[in-house]
Amino acid sequence: MSYFSNKKQEYQALDARDRRRFWVDGLLNNALYILMAIFIIFTAVKNTNFVKPGSIVNMITLAAVSLPMALGIGGCIVLTGTDLSAGRVFGLAAGMSAAFLQNRAASKLIFEHLPATTGGWILVVLLMVMAAGAVIGMVNGFFVAKFSLHPFIVTLATQLITYGVILMFFQINGNGGGPISNVAAEFKSAVSGPCFRIEKWNVSIPWYVIFAVILVVVMWFIWNKTRFGKNMFAVGSNMEAAKVSGVNVFMTTVLVHTLAGALYGFAGFVEAARLGSVTAATGLNNECDAIAACVIGGVSFVGGTGNIGGIVLGVFVLRIIFVALNMLGINPNLQYIIKGAIILAACSLDMRKYLVRK
Amino acid sequence: MKKVLALILVVVMVLALSVTAYAEPAPDTKVAVFWYAFSDAYLSTVRAELDADFEAAGIEYQDFDSNNNQGTQLEQVQTAVTNGFTVLVVNLVTSGSADAAQQIIEAAGDVPVVFFNRAIEGDGEEHTVLDAFENISFIGTDAPEAGHMQGKMIGDFLVENFDAVDLNGDGKISYAMFMGDAANVEAIYRTQYGVEDADAILVENGKPELEYFDASNSLKYQLDPNGAWSSAAAFDFMSVNLAGYNEGNGNMIELVIANNDDMAIGSISALQAAGYNLGDGASTKIPVFGVDATQVAKDAIADDTMTGTVKQDNVGMANAICGVVYAVAGGEAVADAVAAVAESDEIFSVAEGFANKLFVAYAPYTGAEA
Repeated sequence: MSYFSNKKQEYQALDARDRRRFWVDGLLNNALYILMAIFIIFTAVKNTNFVKPGSIVNMITLAAVSLPMALGIGGCIVLTGTDLSAGRVFGLAAGMSAAFLQNRAASKLIFEHLPATTGGWILVVLLMVMAAGAVIGMVNGFFVAKFSLHPFIVTLATQLITYGVILMFFQINGNGGGPISNVAAEFKSAVSGPCFRIEKWNVSIPWYVIFAVILVVVMWFIWNKTRFGKNMFAVGSNMEAAKVSGVNVFMTTVLVHTLAGALYGFAGFVEAARLGSVTAATGLNNECDAIAACVIGGVSFVGGTGNIGGIVLGVFVLRIIFVALNMLGINPNLQYIIKGAIILAACSLDMRKYLVRK
Repeated sequence: MKKVLALILVVVMVLALSVTAYAEPAPDTKVAVFWYAFSDAYLSTVRAELDADFEAAGIEYQDFDSNNNQGTQLEQVQTAVTNGFTVLVVNLVTSGSADAAQQIIEAAGDVPVVFFNRAIEGDGEEHTVLDAFENISFIGTDAPEAGHMQGKMIGDFLVENFDAVDLNGDGKISYAMFMGDAANVEAIYRTQYGVEDADAILVENGKPELEYFDASNSLKYQLDPNGAWSSAAAFDFMSVNLAGYNEGNGNMIELVIANNDDMAIGSISALQAAGYNLGDGASTKIPVFGVDATQVAKDAIADDTMTGTVKQDNVGMANAICGVVYAVAGGEAVADAVAAVAESDEIFSVAEGFANKLFVAYAPYTGAEA
């Protein structure tokens, strides 16, 4: 309680002008949360289905789907960069997961001779697709660090290269670019099947929600408790200073992108199980929502700022907006405009903090 | 018999947009319609019709834009179910994928699902979805029909105008083909039969088969890389094609076949930039064929810049969906609803071997009719 009484004393010591600034700044700095709270209450009043247990569980599962990619891309943004290749890496990973984990009894198989779908093989495939993502991420990081290229252009290039690989992958064994389907039931139930069920509300929590929670904890540990995490923030806030203080900027940049790639791979793996069928277009533009979630959650393009909690919050904000706009019955044409306006407003409010500080 | 008659009456009345008290939909009826992409030109015309039909029938509805992303569509369906929608109308994103359709059906739970337009069963997996679930149905077109119709139209046109079309006088017609989406069965059939059927008619009349303009492209088509059937993709391809293949080089593309009207219009824009198909009577007109009969394509045919298209009946499609939804919401079994709608108009038919699959007929369009 002493924290609040201290705050109170501080506040009472302010003169009228400072008091006004205290409120205005407080309001503006927390405007996003205040607006979200109003938005949620408004939606709940308009449509009570929005806050029913089934709907809340639905929002949690939706957030769990987009979390892994956002957690990966967040690191790239901390380094003042971005990653346009995320969606395509995600698509490649989804395609590979589906192809390697097809129902062995299906008539149309991408790979004829593969082991049966056991827990061990599912794990091997997961590691394979994460490794594939990590390799592309490593290439991104290498070119960014080695040639001081902006990640925007490097990942723009690797995005195209990855898409070419995806198109070729989808033509293996006479598939001719069609969807890769017939995903094994064992794979589906291990990833998107129910982990546990709440009978009272008639809802199930799929396994990938648990995976997302684990990923959040692991990423929180990496960002906050490891030397690598601290180096990442040092490089992001001031590369020259980090270099002078002995941080290996090259290694840090490569690793951040590699880790991001592995996370996109993980996200694609989940997507394959969730959809049961993957096309060459899967993942297209998925990075946009991930980047938006990070920025809404306070991971700034200024670099060196952001935290895992913010990313989780950003993902939830986007998902709540998605569900709420649908629940309010808003015309889809307008939904894009509203979503765009929210992202714009969130980023402006975010930048304002840094402008004031300067 | 009485029941069937009553049903037919109901449906006829829905179609006539005058709703009376026969088997009215339950009062809490809320229909969610999921469109694979709001940006699709043909489906936008269906959407306008369907919205009007639902309004006239007094059915509460909401449209969703899945934005060409199967994941988004699944999420929208999950959300709609938690929001208490009672009928789902789904334009599947991953066309021809039984697995994607099943995920949607599983997410829908007990809520009936009416799929439309984009196939839910691929080649060789017919009946795997439609026979496996009770409260689902499919309303669409007989996938190969548009391709066959387009091919016949092209063949007939060329037999009549062979020498005029053969610009370089080498006795062969060289053509370009634009494919909308590699994974879509309609696109695959159109790409195949658009040429095969035309060839059959040409050979029958003692003419040589069509020849793809670029001998080094063994696929014999150019594909929208985003699978979006877009005019932009066709425009880009055609512009590049015309730089290398033109009358100056004596290897001009003499015929353009596109999977849909958007792509046909895109290729016409590229032709116009090169001085063809200006519709002024003086410029050379390269015959361009599409599918859908969108308003833009009809205008282009009227302006003499495009040659033919296959009419995909947007009004019929919307009426069929509304009719089935109306009956299902009124408590009819899905198969009965489909049968009743099929009876109501000669452009509808129940697919052979199915109880819950409804076809809406295509029709050739070259500008003769209104």
